[in-house]
Amino acid sequence: MSIINYASKEIQFKIVYYGPALCGKTTNLAYIHSRIAPENRGDLVSLATAADRTLFFDFLPLNAVVIKGFKTKFQLYTVPGQVIYNATRQLVLRSVDGIVYVADSQWDKMEENIESFRNLEENLGKQNLSLEDIPYVIQYNKRDLPNTAPVHYMDFLLNNRKKRVQNFEVISSTGQNVFAALNAVSQLLLHKFSKESDSKPSANPVGIPAAG
Amino acid sequence: MDSIPALTIEDVAHIDGVLQDYLQKSESDLAVIIDKGGNVISQYGDLEVMDVTIIAALAAGSFAATKELARRIGEIEFNALYHQGNGSHIFMNSIDDDTIMITVFGSQTTVGLVRFYSTSAAHALAQVLKDLREKASGGFQFDAEDLGDAQVFDKT
Repeated sequence: MSIINYASKEIQFKIVYYGPALCGKTTNLAYIHSRIAPENRGDLVSLATAADRTLFFDFLPLNAVVIKGFKTKFQLYTVPGQVIYNATRQLVLRSVDGIVYVADSQWDKMEENIESFRNLEENLGKQNLSLEDIPYVIQYNKRDLPNTAPVHYMDFLLNNRKKRVQNFEVISSTGQNVFAALNAVSQLLLHKFSKESDSKPSANPVGIPAAG
Repeated sequence: MDSIPALTIEDVAHIDGVLQDYLQKSESDLAVIIDKGGNVISQYGDLEVMDVTIIAALAAGSFAATKELARRIGEIEFNALYHQGNGSHIFMNSIDDDTIMITVFGSQTTVGLVRFYSTSAAHALAQVLKDLREKASGGFQFDAEDLGDAQVFDKT
């Protein structure tokens, strides 16, 4: 859970990039790190194995907009995608404020995408949280590869909850839509904590592309 | 209603008072209070040399990672952890179920002294944080018009 410090005039939020192994979560953070001005970001910390697989998490602290004199700070984390590291994913999800779910668009990864999404729901449940309460967006990554499933099919598999969320067709290696997804989840998150959200339960109308 | 838990200027001054006293007595350089999710709650001391947010994220991870180790010997989790370097060291101890204090210190003091004073500092801070949680303050909310639809992050 975020906390606001009136002495330092700072608000911190924690955003977790979640998804199956090798779907591009670390690539997302690496791209963001490369495109944010150095004065507005810290180091990208990666706890990875020798083969560059995320072992514990990646972490990137960012400074963002100033709202009414309060500096907003976002901490971006990735989880390790490999199935065996579930205990680690639970740790990283602790105190999460927003989630970017990264799905791999390749046809043969659909089962892993679904399994990882279910795993996210389960792990949130263990902390008495649910996707109903936490702002999240979905990335369909690797759209540049030849064997990708259509977006409406991926929506059918992954974006099929009562409240559908914003999705993004992403190529994280080139950065396409990486910032669009980050900005979308950050906006949802800020609006969740606005006075307006009390009267409008669905705080931010999200743009859902027409199926087809 | 969703609101953000708030630390007022008085709360921070209260916490800083405890930390200042602790750093003086233990002759340490830096004390940081974090929640177990890695968020910094408060910090005091020599902040120029380190990126505190990164230390907080890694310390929370380190604390959590040893929980499984603790369970193997019949503990729920370890109350304190010590990382020894050549010139700089880190000591971490639990304040309460959700909060950890990180202390960074150098060769001017000893881990024994830090450990000794950290216990009373943790007790004092636990009380401050308990009072804060019980305080029926409404928390913080943004005004919708201040948020707008502006980009939160800009690419360079």
